[in-house]
Amino acid sequence: MTQRTDSTTSSRAGGAPPPGGGNAPPRTSALPPFGLALAFLRALRESLDAGSGLPEALVAAGASLPRDLRHSLERAAARLGGDYDEDEWGFDEEFAEAAYPLLELLYDRWFRVQATGVSNVPAHGRAMLAANHAGILPWDATMMSVALLREHPLPRYPRFLVLDWAFALPYVSVLMRKVGGVVASPYNAARLLEQDELVAVFPEGVKGTGKPFKERYRLQRFGRGGFVEIALRARAPIVPVAVVGSEEMYPMIGESRLLARALGAPFFPLTPTFPWLGPLGAVPLPSKWRIEFCEPIETAEYGPEAADDRALVFELSERVRETIQQKLYDNLVKRGSAFV
Amino acid sequence: MAARRILITGIGSHTGTELAARLERDPRVEHVAGLDTRPPQAALERTEVIDADIRNPVIAKLIPQVRADTIVHNQIVRRPGAMSATAAHDINVIGTLQLLAAAEKSDSVKAIVIRGSAGIYGAEPNAPQFFEEEMARLFPMRTRFQRDVSEIENYFQTYSRRHPTVTCTMLRYQPAIGPGLKTQVTDYLSLPLAPTYLGFDPRIQLIDEDDALDALIAAIHKPVRGAVNVAAPGTVGLTRMVRMAGRITMPIPAPVFPTVTQAAKRGGVLDISPDFRRLLRFGRAVDIGRLVDDVGFTPKRTTAEAVAHYVRTTGGRRLTPSVRGRVAGAAS
Repeated sequence: MTQRTDSTTSSRAGGAPPPGGGNAPPRTSALPPFGLALAFLRALRESLDAGSGLPEALVAAGASLPRDLRHSLERAAARLGGDYDEDEWGFDEEFAEAAYPLLELLYDRWFRVQATGVSNVPAHGRAMLAANHAGILPWDATMMSVALLREHPLPRYPRFLVLDWAFALPYVSVLMRKVGGVVASPYNAARLLEQDELVAVFPEGVKGTGKPFKERYRLQRFGRGGFVEIALRARAPIVPVAVVGSEEMYPMIGESRLLARALGAPFFPLTPTFPWLGPLGAVPLPSKWRIEFCEPIETAEYGPEAADDRALVFELSERVRETIQQKLYDNLVKRGSAFV
Repeated sequence: MAARRILITGIGSHTGTELAARLERDPRVEHVAGLDTRPPQAALERTEVIDADIRNPVIAKLIPQVRADTIVHNQIVRRPGAMSATAAHDINVIGTLQLLAAAEKSDSVKAIVIRGSAGIYGAEPNAPQFFEEEMARLFPMRTRFQRDVSEIENYFQTYSRRHPTVTCTMLRYQPAIGPGLKTQVTDYLSLPLAPTYLGFDPRIQLIDEDDALDALIAAIHKPVRGAVNVAAPGTVGLTRMVRMAGRITMPIPAPVFPTVTQAAKRGGVLDISPDFRRLLRFGRAVDIGRLVDDVGFTPKRTTAEAVAHYVRTTGGRRLTPSVRGRVAGAAS
C-alpha cells in the first residue's frame, strides 16, 4: 500500500504532464493506472499465448498488479470457482462487505445520515430493532445497517425481515438474501433470535411503505403485535428506532391498483420519477436523514409465557409505537428542511 | 429390541441395495428381506429377495411370511424419468396402500419407516426459511409428486392412528447427493451449462448419500413417531453449488424456463421435473432439530461439504483450478 503511494507521488514529481495538458503524449510510466493496465494486458496476452485458459491467464496476469488489486482479482476468481461462504440464511458477508463502500457513500453524501443513540443497541446477544417503515425500496433497512456498522463500537450486521413479496422478484430476492434479508415470517424471526442475532423488524409492514406522501411520519397500526410476542418468547430486548428522511426519498403521489394487480404486487407506487423515468425512477431523492436508536425495552423480566398475555403484548407494542412516533417528531424538528 | 427382522421395499434401487448390504453386516440384525421386481444392484449374502410388485395385492400374502418387525418403505419414485407419470403415481400411492394393507395382516410388525420426501413442503418464495415438521401443508400442493407424497403421508397417518402399537416414522428427505448416486441433482451438476432462473439464486439444501443411509439406519434402530426431516446442516446458494462443481450457470428468464427445459427434455439433454424446477427458482431448507434430538443422528457433512465431496470424488472439473496456488507461484 505505502509503496504504491510512494511510487505514485514520485512519478508525479518526476515531471508527468499536467492533467489535460495538451500536446505532450502521455507517458505510460508516468501514469500509474495506465501503466498498470498495460502491464496487466501484456501479461494476460503472454499467458494466453502460452496456452492457458482465460481464468488462469487472468490470475497469472494479476501478479503484475499491486497487492490490493491483486487480492480483489483473486477473490473474484475464487468466487467464480464457488469458493465463498454463505450462512444457512444465505447471508454472504464478503458480498455485503463489497457493497459496503457504495452504501457508505450514499450514507455520507446522498442522505447525509446523522445517527444518534447507536450505543443503545446491545453489542452481544439477541435483540430486536423495531423501526418505522417508509420508502418503496428498503433503504431504511440498509441505512440502519450502515449506521450500526460505522458508529457502533462493536459493529455487527443486523438481519432484517423483508416483505415476502420481494423474494418472488428476480435479482431483488438474491440481493436481499446476500446482505442479510430474511422472509418476514414469525418462524424466521424466532429462529434468528434463538441464534442470538440482531433482528430488524418493521411492524407497520406494507402499510408503512404504501402510504401516500401526505401521511408521512404518521405511524400506521402495528399489526397485531406479533413482533412483541416473538421478542417476549425469545426474551430479547426491543430497541425502537426512529428513521427520518425515508419518507421523502420516494414521495408517493398516487398508486395504480390496476398495475399492482397485474404484477401481483401489494401496491404500485407513482412518484414524481417512477415509473415515468424507467429504472432511473428507482434512484431515491437526496433527502436528509436522521436515525435515532432509542432506549431498549427489556422483555426478559416478563418471562416467555408472557407472550400469550394479550394485554401485555398490546401494551408493549403501543409503548414501542409511541416511542418511535415521539422520536420521529423530535428528529423532524431537529432536521429542519428535508433536502438541504 | 433383540434380534431384528427387517423388510426393505425397493431393494433394486441403489439405496435399497446399499441399505440391505449394511444391515447384513449388522450383528443386531437377524434377517433381511427385500421386495422388488428389479434384482438388487449388487450381490447380497444373506438377504431374502422377494420378486413381487408392490402394487400387487399378492404382497399381502407374502409379507406376513417374512415375520418382519420393521418394514422400511424405500420404493418411492422421485423422478419418473422413462416411466410414465401415472406409473410413478401408482407405485407411490397404490404401492404404499398395498404395503400398509400387508403390514396390517402381519402381527409381527412393530415399526414402519418410510423414506419419504421433503418435497411435501414445496418450494415457495414466502416460505419459512427452515420448514419444521408441522409446517407440511402451509401452501397449496402444486406438483403431482407433491400431491403423491401428501397422499402417502395421509394414508400413513391414518394407519398410525389405527395401530398405536406400531411406531410409524416418516422420514422427509431432502435430495441426496453423492458419487454413487444418479439423481436429478447429480444429473444437473454434470451438465456443462446449468440452467438457472435469471435473477434467482435460491438456497439449496441436500444430504450426502452416506449420511442419508446412516440416517435411515439410525431411524430403523430408534424409530420415532411422526415426521422427521432429514437433511444436511446448512444451505448453499444454487450459483455457488454450480460453480463448486466447475460448471457455468445459464440464466434463463422465468417465463420461458419451462419451454426451454421441455425442449431440452425432448432433445434428451436433461430431465427436470416440475418439483426440481420450483426448487431451482425458490429453493427450500428444513429444520433438522428432530433428527438430531429425537432420532439422535447428526449428519457428518454439511450441504456445502457434501457438494464438495461429490465434486472431489467424481473429479468434477473446476473452472479455476487452485487460484491461490497459481497467484503465489506467479508472484514469486
